[in-house]
Amino acid sequence: MVLTAEVIGMLVFTLAAFWGLATWSLVRTMRQEGRKVEILEQQDRMDTYSPEALAELREWIQANPDDPLVDDARRRHNECIEALEETDRRFYDWSNEEIDRLERV
Amino acid sequence: MADAKTARAEWGTRFGFLMAMIGAMVGAGNIWRFPYVMGENGGGAFVLAFLVLLFLLAVPGLMAEVALGRYTNKGVIGAFRDVLGRGGLVGLGVIVLLVNIALMSYYSPLIGWTLYYAVHSLLFTFTATGFEAEAFMDAFFANSALMIGLHTVVMGTVAAVLLLGIRQGVERLVVYAVPALVIALAIMTIRGLTLPGASEGIAFTFGVQWGYLFEGSTWIAALGQALFSTGLGWGIALTVGSYLREYDDVPLGGGVFTAIGESSIGILAALAIFPVVFAVGVEPDAGAGLAFVSLVQVFPEIPLGGLVAVLFFLGFFLATFTSGVVITEVSVTTLTEETKYSRKQTVLGVCGLIWLLGIPSAYSVDILDYLDFVFGNWGLPLATLAIIGVIGWVLGPERLRLLAVNRNAGIYVGKWWDPVIKYVIPAVMIFIMAYFAWEDFGSPEMIGGMLVIVLFPIIGYGVMSVLEGRGGGPDAADVTGGDD
Repeated sequence: MVLTAEVIGMLVFTLAAFWGLATWSLVRTMRQEGRKVEILEQQDRMDTYSPEALAELREWIQANPDDPLVDDARRRHNECIEALEETDRRFYDWSNEEIDRLERV
Repeated sequence: MADAKTARAEWGTRFGFLMAMIGAMVGAGNIWRFPYVMGENGGGAFVLAFLVLLFLLAVPGLMAEVALGRYTNKGVIGAFRDVLGRGGLVGLGVIVLLVNIALMSYYSPLIGWTLYYAVHSLLFTFTATGFEAEAFMDAFFANSALMIGLHTVVMGTVAAVLLLGIRQGVERLVVYAVPALVIALAIMTIRGLTLPGASEGIAFTFGVQWGYLFEGSTWIAALGQALFSTGLGWGIALTVGSYLREYDDVPLGGGVFTAIGESSIGILAALAIFPVVFAVGVEPDAGAGLAFVSLVQVFPEIPLGGLVAVLFFLGFFLATFTSGVVITEVSVTTLTEETKYSRKQTVLGVCGLIWLLGIPSAYSVDILDYLDFVFGNWGLPLATLAIIGVIGWVLGPERLRLLAVNRNAGIYVGKWWDPVIKYVIPAVMIFIMAYFAWEDFGSPEMIGGMLVIVLFPIIGYGVMSVLEGRGGGPDAADVTGGDD
């Protein structure tokens, strides 16, 4: 039996969608892990949020000052800023200008 | 792991965590169900529906469950208490625990089946002259003493692995077992694809029948596969996530890689199994009929069939065994935290209890089938509803996303995630339970399922109300009091 182009196309698509994506995510997460280990060998802590995620956390803290978890959110927010200010190497893509503009909440 | 009371264990490596997730989620369903369901539901059309549902439900759901475990650093009951406060509602965690114990009680005899076939593959029984696959399986299933013996061996081995702890036991097992399973299936795929007539198997599995995309049954099948094969909401991802280290990512590894990676093994199983089955002209099937009859009939017919049988059944055993170990770990983790017993005592107690409860399923395949149907259709969705419901409606998805999912994350998860957790997944779980109740209305399975849905919450609420010394209303919870 000769396979049709449609069957071959679906086979290729399925392999790319599943094995391609699984391999990409495995390689990406293992590389990120390698980078984190490398950074933590040189300094005792590092940034914990990306610029986008930290901005969203800050907005939430300001919008929900009475939330039962706001203290925990503040601690996590400020901890990230401290790490950004006091360390040289960063995991996320932070520019110096972005770090200068950051304020604790 | 006597240190569990004083210092919580952690995964030794990122790879260990990832393999634990995959090892837990890849089980019998990926090997003996997924390929057939795929071929029977439009092949490529099913793949598309399945992929959509994986990204819509399984990936976000797994992110939420792993994140809850990581945020609380506790097992299921402790995590629920952190969110709900002390009281009877912590019993929702007990539901998850009970469902896991019930699941493992009938899964252990099934692991015993795969062990038996793996041993016989090593003895080259299936390629011996005069071997009859169906008679062999019937004789095996009729031998209750052997079944109970295998169940005992399985639970004893699971206990031995768990006694070694998270790093020395679970992690050490999965980092070798999962790659070994993939390699075994890959070699079998190469063997199958090089056989004359293999293309018919490819056409059966990957042929596209677009009409199936417009049939409800295709989406129901894809939904069942996306939810049940990823183990979403069973407490497994929560438990595995609770052992993550400080700077570990959740969404990329715990969500995307786990859901897509474990499904990829199902795809590989399809490529490994159906080309071989079709090349020999055996009827495709699912479940025990596929693994223990169809495939076993195939091995003597193909060159190097004995070795292919060894690869398949060893891989199959590893897939089921690693799932069994991590499913049992869910109970061990939470009971070690919640009681005064050491990890060693808890492992022995939990494995002993599962062994005892598993004897009826080991004794009779009919009982196993009944429990599988009841817990597959109602027990497991109830557990998922408990976990995702608590995250969506009490903790709040936005809070969890900001505090745990996006912290140290390998990918950024946006606001789209919140309504999926709060509305979509709970609605789908309720739909699934209602759909199966309607489909099987009045059957003994449906009655059993309804008993689980009613009794497990009552038991959970009652037990935790008594144990926590309260009437049940949550008090001063850490995180209740609002939603996003």
